[in-house]
Formats: sequence, structure tokens, C-alpha cells
Amino acid sequence: MFKLKGKKSFVLLSTLFMTLLPKQAEAMHIAEGFLPIKWAGIWWAVALPFLALGIRQIKELVKEQGAGVKVLLAVTGAFVFVLSSLKLPSLTGSCSHPTGIGLGAILFGPWPMVVLGSIVLLFQAILLAHGGLTTLGANLFSMAIVGAFVAYGVYRLLKSMGAPQWLSVSLAATLGDLMTYVTTATQLAWAFPSGEGGILLSLTKFLSVFAVTQLPLAITEGLLTVLVFNLVHQYNENELRELAVISKGRE
Amino acid sequence: MLNIDQYAYSNQLSKIHPMEKILFAIGIMIVCLVANSVYISLVVILLMAGVITLGARISVKLFIKLLAIPVSFLLFSILAIIISITTDESTLLWYVAFGKVKVGIQSRNLLVGINLFLRSLATVSCLYFLALTTPAVEIINIFKKLKLPQIFIELMMLMYRLLFILLETANQIRLSQLSRLGYTSFRNSLFSLSKLIARLFIKAYYRARELVIALEARGYDGEIRVLVREHQLSKRNLIAILLIEFLLIIVTIY
Repeated sequence: MFKLKGKKSFVLLSTLFMTLLPKQAEAMHIAEGFLPIKWAGIWWAVALPFLALGIRQIKELVKEQGAGVKVLLAVTGAFVFVLSSLKLPSLTGSCSHPTGIGLGAILFGPWPMVVLGSIVLLFQAILLAHGGLTTLGANLFSMAIVGAFVAYGVYRLLKSMGAPQWLSVSLAATLGDLMTYVTTATQLAWAFPSGEGGILLSLTKFLSVFAVTQLPLAITEGLLTVLVFNLVHQYNENELRELAVISKGRE
Repeated sequence: MLNIDQYAYSNQLSKIHPMEKILFAIGIMIVCLVANSVYISLVVILLMAGVITLGARISVKLFIKLLAIPVSFLLFSILAIIISITTDESTLLWYVAFGKVKVGIQSRNLLVGINLFLRSLATVSCLYFLALTTPAVEIINIFKKLKLPQIFIELMMLMYRLLFILLETANQIRLSQLSRLGYTSFRNSLFSLSKLIARLFIKAYYRARELVIALEARGYDGEIRVLVREHQLSKRNLIAILLIEFLLIIVTIY
């Protein structure tokens, strides 16, 4: 047994931490096999009703608008997938884009995003080797369900309060990202509570470990989403209006 | 980046019925999760490494590179699990003292962490076996046979076809931005990336509209029918798969 004391140990530990920091961090996908089978099952069970509801919404939309909507939705899904594979500039090295779900939820509403998000996660698992199949339920819940609903809710709330567009969009994307990160940390803390401190202590540990990559990322995501939103608004007003059919069908 | 997809079509096991491969991968994955033991995990990693490199003839280098993908996530979350914060240092294997509070590692938690790391790598190798040997389209076809909602299957098919086009477009835009020094600073990257995404969004939208027109011109009524590669279910393989899984279960019990 050996021990280190005081300042020196702090410096040593932090340098160790910084070198361990991956140069290219991944978004917070819970890796395959990381959750015990019980928790993997629970999160699948939680996510499935949302998925079923989302599918029903899409079916009604197709009935209303014709088969072309399906293609539009599929393109949106493919767009979210491609976004997730783009490297996002981040203050701590480059980082893969968390979800792109925020932008989608603001434009199309949260329900289609749940369905598209599940397919994106499946493709990420089998095409990019990100995330996993047993943990797909948990990831679906944190990214496509919590992420989409928070982003959409914040956007709607701020808009109804008369906040400027840029503020609503950036806060929606940032908070959507942050809540995804908090949800994932909670899922991990629930599955792996600390012996003495219980869930709260382990939640604190998970939150602080991932904060290094996730906090700057959430802020960048907010900035980026505003820039994208403004560009699209500025140059493609008409297309946006046509696309509004998808979000209209949801209400 | 998407060469996993290429291997899925060109590997030596691509002619085997996808159902067999799914049974093999998912079955072992579940056994591995339930067993939750270091030995089973090690056996599964070796087994999958063998099947992927010797069976499917995929290079060892690629397999190792893929295994490294989840490592950063694993290291971070396992770090959170094995670090204990306590005032009583008697149970700690190694620690750093900050005044009265000790931050350190308990041997019990260290074992949990190692087990978790290996279990994750083992199930990840099962996933890679499936991903590297079975094309996405065939997996989607299995979903179809399992009677998943039709709209879901269709969206998957369409998305799979579209994402390669969008990916190509995104890469082209990125390349031209790079050649104009678009990513030289944090500020530049942010602006370049936002332009890329905005353009991609609009291009995607027009792609979709053109696709709808092209499909409708060919009598699209909401369903795309494509020919699927036929596969023969082999009894010998099925028995072998069940045998391996049975053996693993027996080893788990003892």
C-alpha cells in the first residue's frame, strides 16, 4: 500500500486524467453489455411504449398526407444519422456530434424523432459500432425520448413567452443535450449504486466524470444549432413551410 | 468510416443465413450478460475473435481497431464506479488523501470494474460479429419476418439507402471547406460546420422530393418491393450454434 499527499498528487492525478482523455470522445452511448441484463430489459420496456406511440403518429400522418411523407421522414432520419457521424469542434478536442435530435425535434416535433432515433441508434450500432443492441433501450430513452421532448418543450415554452428565436433554439438544443447527459448518468448510477453513498453518490461520480466532455459539447451544440437554424431560415423559408406538414400532423 | 458495411457484404460468412448469425450473436450476448463472469467473457472474446478473423476472414487489425471504439466510454464510466470517496482508508487498496477525505480504489470495486470491462468487450465482440458478417438489409429482412410494424421496416429501408448519399454529400462539402481552410480555428469550424449542416439539410430535402417523384413515376403506392438474396437455413449450423450456447450455459452453471 502506498499513498500520495497534497498538491503533488493532485497534479499527478490530473495529468493522468488529461492523458487518458480520449482525443476524440464519443457521444454518450452506453456501450453494449455495460448494463446488467435487468436494467437493459427495464429500459427497453420503458422505451417501447414511446416507440409504439411514435409509430402510430407516423401512420396517421401517412394516411393524411400520402406516402411521400415516408420518404421525407426517412431523409430526416438519414440526416440525423449523418449529423451524428460528423465531428463537432469542441474545446476539449474534437467530439462526435451527440444527436442532432434537438434540431429535428424543433423542426418536426418529438414524436417522429422517437421512431427515427431508434433506427438511427440501430444503424449506429451495426454500421458505426457505437452503442449497442442490449443497451439500445436505455440509449433510446436518454437520447431520442428525453432529448427530443426536452428540446421541443423548451423551444415551445420560450417561444410562447416571446423569447427571441436564437435564444429559444440555442437553449432548446443545449438543454436537450444536457438532459440526455443527466439521464445517461442517472441510468448508470441506478445500475451501479455505490456501496456506502448509494445512488446519489454514484450519480455525482458519473456526472462529474462525463462533465469534462459533455458540458462544452452541450454549449457547442446550442451555438451550432442556432447557426444552422438561422441559415436555413434565411435562405430556405419556403422549404421550411412545406416541411411543416410533418410537425402539423403531430398535433 | 462505413467500411463495416463493406465487410458485411464481402466477408467469407456472408452466404450463411442471417437468422443463424443473429441467433449466434444475440444468444451468446445474452448468455454473457446473464453469466456475468470474467471467464465466460474471456472465452466469448476469444471465440468471437476466432470466428471473425478465421471464419469471416476479417483482418485482426480491423477487429482490434473496432474493439477500441467503446474503450473511452468504458474507461470513464468504470473510473466512476471504482473510485470511492471515504474517510476510512482501511478498505482502500490505493488512495490519495485530501485532508481527512480519502479518494481511492477499493479492491472489491476494482474487481467489479474489471468484470464489467471484459463483459462489455465480450458482448461488443458479439455485436461486431453480427455487424461485420451480416448486411443491414438482411437484418432488416429478418425484422420483416418477425412481423415488426411495416412502416418501421420501410423507414429503415429508405433510411439505409439514403444515408450513404447524404454521407457522401457531407464528405464532399467538408473536403471543399477543408481545402479553403474552413476548419483552422474553433470559430471557423463552428461556422463551416453550420453551413455544411444547413446545406445538407436542404439538399436532403430536395433529394427526398426527387425520390418521391421518381418513385411515384414507377407506381409507388407506399411499398418498395426489392429482391432479397435467398439463403438456406442449415441444420448443421443451427445445431452447432445451439451446442456452443449450451456449452457456455453449462460452464456458467458450474
